[in-house]
Amino acid sequence: MRYAYFPGCVAKSSAPELYNSTAQVALRLGVELVELTAASCCGTGVLNEGDPFLNTVLNARTFAMAEDMNLDIITICSTCQGVMRQDKWRLDNDSNLFAKTNEALAKINTQYKGKVEIKHLLWALVEDYGLAKLEQQVERPLKGSKVAPFYGCYILRPNEVVQFESHENPTSFERLITALGGEPVSYDGKTKCCGFPILFVQRETAFEMSAAYLNNAKQAGADFMVTPCPLCHISLDLYQKKSVKRMKFDFQLPVMHLSQMVGLALGVEPARLGFARHLVSMAPVLRELSR
Amino acid sequence: MKTQEAVFRIFRFNPELSEKPHYQTFQVKIDNRMTVLDALEDIKHEQDATLTFRRSCRSGICGSCAMKINRLAKLACKTRAKTEMDNHGEILVEPMENMSPILRDLTVDMGEFWREIDRGTPWLVWEETLAGTIKENLLTNQQQRVPDTLANCIMCGCCFSDCVSRVFDKNFTGPASLAKIHRFVADPRDEVGEKRVPTLVEMGLWSCTHCYFCWSQCPRDVRPVAAISALRILSFNAGDTNQGARHVRAFMNSVKGTGMLNEARLYLETMRWTMLRDLDLIVKMATRGKAPSLFVRPIPKIEEARSLFQLTRGARQK
Repeated sequence: MRYAYFPGCVAKSSAPELYNSTAQVALRLGVELVELTAASCCGTGVLNEGDPFLNTVLNARTFAMAEDMNLDIITICSTCQGVMRQDKWRLDNDSNLFAKTNEALAKINTQYKGKVEIKHLLWALVEDYGLAKLEQQVERPLKGSKVAPFYGCYILRPNEVVQFESHENPTSFERLITALGGEPVSYDGKTKCCGFPILFVQRETAFEMSAAYLNNAKQAGADFMVTPCPLCHISLDLYQKKSVKRMKFDFQLPVMHLSQMVGLALGVEPARLGFARHLVSMAPVLRELSR
Repeated sequence: MKTQEAVFRIFRFNPELSEKPHYQTFQVKIDNRMTVLDALEDIKHEQDATLTFRRSCRSGICGSCAMKINRLAKLACKTRAKTEMDNHGEILVEPMENMSPILRDLTVDMGEFWREIDRGTPWLVWEETLAGTIKENLLTNQQQRVPDTLANCIMCGCCFSDCVSRVFDKNFTGPASLAKIHRFVADPRDEVGEKRVPTLVEMGLWSCTHCYFCWSQCPRDVRPVAAISALRILSFNAGDTNQGARHVRAFMNSVKGTGMLNEARLYLETMRWTMLRDLDLIVKMATRGKAPSLFVRPIPKIEEARSLFQLTRGARQK
């Protein structure tokens, strides 16, 4: 398995633990990640509210790089995946935009052909690698830990664009958790918004959102939460203490990146997965798993 | 035609009889063609005449029968019962969210929704009409495209019901209202047009999180979230200085400079002095090696990205 790897800006700045743990997982599974080092930021759904055409052209340039290598793009960030996929969807369904974009790309001697696929690591594990095979690689099973999957938005919606699975009752995350030996927890809010996109504009609303869903997961008995998106992780881990306090709750719920959970189950040394960088301590979870 | 037994678990509430709602289960024989509305009619006619819900056209046009079906807002007349059974193993039917009070069973008071629509001056402002100088005002196909799509809205309330922001922020006017506003902003006949935009900040223009529920649940493919983005672009282009527009500007500058997002700069330029509230967090992040650097190295071939910036700017002016 070989992919054009688009780690995204956050994994390379405020969430280095995501970047590092993904490298560990790829190493264990023998997945080759060829990093698109010259790719630009996907725009995170913000740039396109300044200049949507620029957003599309920059992403089309990234697509062209992967196409030149004959590889599909893999991301470890739901938002990168979603934003890029929306641009691809627009390009593939709008011949004018397609032509205009390639006209711009011609000036830098490149071209988007339309054959690249954009995948999230979650889908690559479930579909390309296969859960049965992954299960055989598990060295440190999650031993019945109760795990709350937090899908969030971009990995599911708009369903017309994403189309990996139904946003009404997604199962990929639960199946992955089960394959790693954990017990998926069902709770209200797992497919809703973590609040991050409005964290810097409507802070209090964002806090109320994330605290509500963290609380639901906690009430459902979750030992920890897992997210496929580093932006969700900012909202759910970095700001957890503040959001929980605002809602006058009193609890802590550790939140892992998807790659960290997989790495842990594959037997990667916890110290190499960067849990120490989290703001909500992962110690209780690790203690339980090492017993 | 092949039939099967479907399990309907329905929210029941009659404020005249009880203070508390309950759920009641009905078995209904469904075939492949039946909609959830067909089945509800069957229940009403054959099992319990007191079951209360709104419906009228039965063809996805009037928007009356919006309700939560397996936890998401849908038109009962456009939702196939068998699909719901296949996906969920039962058909859970509840009244829409974000609207209260519940009047009876699946019927909600939609006043809250209508008040939000009214907040946005949802009509064409055209003083000439009032002055009595009515003349033909032709639109090109291109000019008509956006208003046409947005005018497909049937005011069913599905997007408003499933809007995540509205749950927590009652000042956020909601997706249908903003889509309706964009319908007139994008209409060249409207005399107020883009002048509607500056007032939208107070209505929560920047409160939408892009959760995409409104896009996914709209039975008429209106995609309200796209209208919200379009309005934000206008706010940004007009040089607005609200925090939302500032965030977009800071983001753009960051990508223009290095091709990458500079998290630290984006944060500081958007938050300004309000960052003081996060000082404790910043210190903790720094001690854990999570504080993003203020200096981001430009991507290799940054000149390519920069020239695309120039090109698209040119393309926009053309």
